Amino acid sequence: MDVILGLTTKDAVIVATSMAAVRGVSILKADDDKTRIVAPHTLVAYTGEAGDTVQFAEYVQANIQLHGIRNETELSPPAITSFVRSELAKSLRSRKPYQVNILIGGYDTATETPYLYWVDYLASRAQVPYAAHGYAAYYTLSLLDRWYKTDLSLEEGMKIMEMCVTELRTRLPIDFKGIQIKIIDRDGVRTA
Amino acid sequence: MADRYSFSLTTFSPSGKLVQIEYAFQAVNQGVTSLGIKASNGVVLATEKKSTSDLIDASSLSKISNITPDIGMVYSGMGPDFRVLVDKARKSSHTNYKRIYNEYPPTRILVQDVARTMQEATQSGGVRPYGVSLLVGGYDVDNGFSLYQVDPSGTYFPWKATAIGKGSTSAKTFLEKRWTEDLELEDAIHIALLTLKESVEGEMNGNTVEIGVIGPASDHLLGFEGVKNVPGPRFRKLSPREIDDRLDAL
Repeated sequence: MDVILGLTTKDAVIVATSMAAVRGVSILKADDDKTRIVAPHTLVAYTGEAGDTVQFAEYVQANIQLHGIRNETELSPPAITSFVRSELAKSLRSRKPYQVNILIGGYDTATETPYLYWVDYLASRAQVPYAAHGYAAYYTLSLLDRWYKTDLSLEEGMKIMEMCVTELRTRLPIDFKGIQIKIIDRDGVRTA
Repeated sequence: MADRYSFSLTTFSPSGKLVQIEYAFQAVNQGVTSLGIKASNGVVLATEKKSTSDLIDASSLSKISNITPDIGMVYSGMGPDFRVLVDKARKSSHTNYKRIYNEYPPTRILVQDVARTMQEATQSGGVRPYGVSLLVGGYDVDNGFSLYQVDPSGTYFPWKATAIGKGSTSAKTFLEKRWTEDLELEDAIHIALLTLKESVEGEMNGNTVEIGVIGPASDHLLGFEGVKNVPGPRFRKLSPREIDDRLDAL
């Protein structure tokens, strides 16, 4: 029931994640961050099997940070996504694959373009203008199809995101304890 | 063979030198001159194609090779050692980079990889150092055009312009006088030919001189057309005709 959404605007990517961490019949915390910053201009949001999610996200984070330290350079969002996808592909034919679905939001400083990728546990990858994983997709994709246009300003993007969150609050049967917004642009990753 | 030669053949002398590497440098300095020049909009690599006989089919031999579509390499020293390094660099650019990140490595990272290979030959069992110095020219989005030299020891340096091999000292002095910050690619090719002329012993024409250029993307060299967002390679070799035209203009 975790919510992760993504949306690209003209110069930025907006990533929204729900804040409830649920195990069984209890809510463990209401301020859970379902993202990891893997590079100065790239964020990975995750959802899926408990444990696999954080382990895989932190594995990606460690590898990308090591690359940055060794080579004194930042990998572009497409390059990072290729790495993430190839690791999931390797995991898929192992004894116990990582059951993690991911959204990668990044800003390529070299070409000054925002990128959003939808990647799932089967190692599919799609570059998309907007995305969602899980049940949230059933409700939000239709709104995004209706209201999204190219070259949105940040405020317009945030308004569309608000519409999506309102819809989820109305229609999802569980309280997901609100949404945390992350914005990725030329200045890096920040919380809205 | 590996267990009988698990000790390195490159060992320190009492004065603290690695004599095998010094000897490798000798092999490089006996080799034909090669040079590289970085311009504001490209890199030129040039070398003489010295043949021992007029019966040799010069067109079948290639001393300047591309490693990725945007990176090229030339050498001074032992040709066979160069071939091995080219093959390793080409393979490594795929297995250690492109097959992970789906893009070709930037120049510096490829150079570091080649340098590591050459260093390993100075500290491993049963092998000798590579008898070549390399000049690697390339382009990548983050760093633009760059030129690197790699030595038999595994050291690598970035250069604005340099020469290696037999006539390298005088060639470097020549280049020092002529290199400027705002050189364009055509000027750099012109200077490269002038510099080579000083060290070439025989005739200098499109068949005895090889020039490689890393410049603007050449979409016509892709081998296909009609696919969007696929830039052509930046590395290309000048044909003998193109070289002759420029030699006439000298």
